[in-house]
Amino acid sequence: MENFQESAKRIFNVGWTNFKRNSYLSMGTTGVMVLVLFLFSGLMSLNYLASQVVSGLEEKVDVSVYFKNDASEEEITMVKSDLELLGTVKNVEYVSKDQALNEFKERHAGDTLVQDSLAELDENPLQASLNVKAGDSSQYASIVTFLEGNKFRSLVDKINFYENEQVIARVLTISGGLQNWGFLLTMALALIAVLVTFNTVRLTIYSQKQEIEIMRLVGGSNWHIKAPYLVEGGMYGALAAVIVTVMFYPIAFFISPKIESLMPGVSLISYFVSNIFQFVPLIFFIGILLGVTSSFVAIRRFLKI
Amino acid sequence: MIEFKNVTTIYDNDETIEILNGVNLNIKDGEFISIIGPAGAGKSTLLRLLTREISPHKGEIILDGVNLAQIPSNAIPLLRRKIGTVYQDFKLLSAKTAFENVAFAMEVCGADRDEIEIDVPKILGIVGLGDKLKSFPHQLSGGEKQRLAIARALIHRPRIILADEPTGNLDLVNSYDVVKLLMKINELGTTVILATHNREVVNAIGKRVISIEKGKVVRDQVENGKYVL
Repeated sequence: MENFQESAKRIFNVGWTNFKRNSYLSMGTTGVMVLVLFLFSGLMSLNYLASQVVSGLEEKVDVSVYFKNDASEEEITMVKSDLELLGTVKNVEYVSKDQALNEFKERHAGDTLVQDSLAELDENPLQASLNVKAGDSSQYASIVTFLEGNKFRSLVDKINFYENEQVIARVLTISGGLQNWGFLLTMALALIAVLVTFNTVRLTIYSQKQEIEIMRLVGGSNWHIKAPYLVEGGMYGALAAVIVTVMFYPIAFFISPKIESLMPGVSLISYFVSNIFQFVPLIFFIGILLGVTSSFVAIRRFLKI
Repeated sequence: MIEFKNVTTIYDNDETIEILNGVNLNIKDGEFISIIGPAGAGKSTLLRLLTREISPHKGEIILDGVNLAQIPSNAIPLLRRKIGTVYQDFKLLSAKTAFENVAFAMEVCGADRDEIEIDVPKILGIVGLGDKLKSFPHQLSGGEKQRLAIARALIHRPRIILADEPTGNLDLVNSYDVVKLLMKINELGTTVILATHNREVVNAIGKRVISIEKGKVVRDQVENGKYVL
């Protein structure tokens, strides 16, 4: 009798021979699995882009607290440190009257009318403010409530949350929706992918029904019959993963600038390059798992007797 | 030693359709048995019970003191290696050569390469195909195909050979070749059970003949049996 090493060798040899001999079917099965793995990669890209859109939107949302002209810098700093003690606040930025003026001037540098009007004024017309960013967009309401109850409330001229409230609410709905629907879509497509792979592998094995029957009749043990098909299934998955990896990166490289022009600061290619050691093993894992599982389920039918 | 005790089988779990109906048989080691009967009498069923492709609905089958129904399913391959089977349609793999077809039966049982290289040419020599190792089934005549199938059945040195209409697709000359081979195997000590409805073949063998009709044993000629239904 053969030992473990020999039988592993034989199993891989038979699996490889089947793979080669049925090259037409193998190509078909591998092709389907390539499509499936591309689908997975595409879904991963979409999820990444969606999360970037959501966090970009959330990044843009903040609440500014404008102070009356008689508020001193110390008082404002005290409000700032009060806010920073709140767990829900991510950061607070102080913008003094002078800074606000400078920024305003910069923004309207080319506009002579604005520049002239400013020069006419003796006093800085802008107010000092605090820009508050919350860790989570849903927490702005509670931060504003906190400010309303603060002992320095009398120094505050206005809080622009009330103007931004609707925008914030809409961002929240959109990001929630994107995440939920993205998840549902991913699951649905993944299910379709699994079914397609399963059926393709099943057809491949069905074409070797006669061989399986004869193997059984001449007394091959179930495991000896099954193992080469599992290996074959795994090979389809691994080959498909190789093809997908080789094709995916160039495609991402070409698409990336186009996406970046739509969504500045979002780089698909650098995301996948920096995660290459997660992405490539994951694709291989999904491919091999899909192939082996499909073979396993498909061959069970032919081993009943 | 094979014993059928009051064996009844049904078709597809339907108790109203009985294939075999209370069959009792005793087969001693080294016997050559011809099972005859019209199509649908239950000859193939009898053979398939022995390899446990099917199980009896009632009664029991005992092989070497072991009730076949009690063999766990992971031990069925071991049972099948003790029994060689030959079919009317040969069941050869068309994409494999004669050598590979026989080697295949050894491979699935886990034989190593050296054993295969020695045993396969030897067994093909015994059945008279020593010069056809590299031929594919479509390059062989009907008789040669069946001899190849017999070689495959013999490769595990089984104690029992089951032959289900092995001459059904063969002309008279080839049929005699195959039967002569089976008789030779029997002389070397292997029990042979042959299911057939070929009158000439049965009469030429002249050994024990069991007639089955409508699922019952209707006649058991222990010696020098003839084809009588």
